[in-house]
Amino acid sequence: MAAPSMKERQACWGARDEYWKCLDEKAEDASQCEQLRSAFESRCPQQWIKYFDKRRDYLKFKEKFEAGQFQPSKTTAQS
Amino acid sequence: MSCPRTARPAPTDTQQQLRVPEGAVEEGPRKYPEAAFACRTHPGHSLECVRRGGWRAAPVGRAEGRPAPSAGLRPWPRPDAPESPGGSFQQLNRIIRPMLLLVWAPKAWHRLFPLKPRALLWFRGDKVLHVGYRRLSGQAPGEQSRQRQPQGPRFRTRLLITALFGAGLGGAWLAARAEKEQRQQQRRTEALRQAAVGQGDFNLLDHRGQARCKADFRGQWVLLYFGFTHCPDICPDELEKLVRVVEQLEAEPGLPPVQPVFITVDPERDTAAAMARYVQDFHPRLLGLTGSAEQVAQVTRSYRVYYSAGPKDEDQDYIVDHSIAIYLLSPDGLFTDYYGRAKSAQQIADSVRHHMAAFRSVLH
Repeated sequence: MAAPSMKERQACWGARDEYWKCLDEKAEDASQCEQLRSAFESRCPQQWIKYFDKRRDYLKFKEKFEAGQFQPSKTTAQS
Repeated sequence: MSCPRTARPAPTDTQQQLRVPEGAVEEGPRKYPEAAFACRTHPGHSLECVRRGGWRAAPVGRAEGRPAPSAGLRPWPRPDAPESPGGSFQQLNRIIRPMLLLVWAPKAWHRLFPLKPRALLWFRGDKVLHVGYRRLSGQAPGEQSRQRQPQGPRFRTRLLITALFGAGLGGAWLAARAEKEQRQQQRRTEALRQAAVGQGDFNLLDHRGQARCKADFRGQWVLLYFGFTHCPDICPDELEKLVRVVEQLEAEPGLPPVQPVFITVDPERDTAAAMARYVQDFHPRLLGLTGSAEQVAQVTRSYRVYYSAGPKDEDQDYIVDHSIAIYLLSPDGLFTDYYGRAKSAQQIADSVRHHMAAFRSVLH
């Protein structure tokens, strides 16, 4: 299977960005963005879809972490 | 109530007396009436007077048989404790006093710079009103010549001589240090020369099917990136950044050209044709290199690149996890610098420019 060309790559990234924009608006509610999700899945190789999903999770975690939502529990501070 | 008076001891024969030989005129010092002096004449009418029991014989370890200093003459304040030869106080005195005297007492310089006997400075008839110098070397310790004039080198002269001596020492130290640094530099250059030839060599095919090795790039600056063609987003982003750097440096006149190189960490799928398809999207001069699994393993080991193929899915597709860095190689083929994901194209271009300006070849 040949690697995607530049055009295919850019089409895939565009679909991904739209899907992620939809998720941002709908507060991570995947059920409301199904159409964009299927467009995204048709444009990108399967490995890339798995990769981008994991990337999305990581970016969301990073946002929460930098906002300070994860505090060490009291027990760890004393141990 | 009157205090008891202590009578002055009258000079007796057991103490040192002023013994002036016949025919000599004693014009000795009036300052030390109780000092012990022995004077004698020399041919040429110079008078030599020696003061017994001088400062040298004071509290520091007296030898047996040496006359004790007279009661009224105590050149140094002495503690009342009995002397112990070899005591620490005496040892310290032995060291410190000469050093202090060297600076503050002009007369002490004569211990270092013994002077020859000089001619008379002042002569009036058969009366001698001065005393000539006496050579101190060979003299018994504890005796000191009594001199009146001149007083010895002035403070400024002493300071000057000490400063010159210090400057000489400093100059010698600086010269030794410079020589050591130069030898270190030579060793380093030699090590670099060896590394330039042997280290980081590779045997790979470029995207046109030609064999390439590291020596082909000697004389050019090289920006190297390791990746693979099936990469989702990181490799294209980094290659875009690399191409922007190369374009920025191309736009500046007077800078040598930079060769961008892309080496695959996925030799199974990235054949020369696949590489050719890939690199054409970025820059006309971007060179793609591939090879067998062993050749790729060798080059990644040389440049300390981590890579690991992930699990395959039903399409037989997989993603290769790898370390992300752009490497800069100098025209000697030596690794010079690396840039991670956090560096922008502008920062990389500035750094490359800086290295170009500072570059000195070790190979000729």
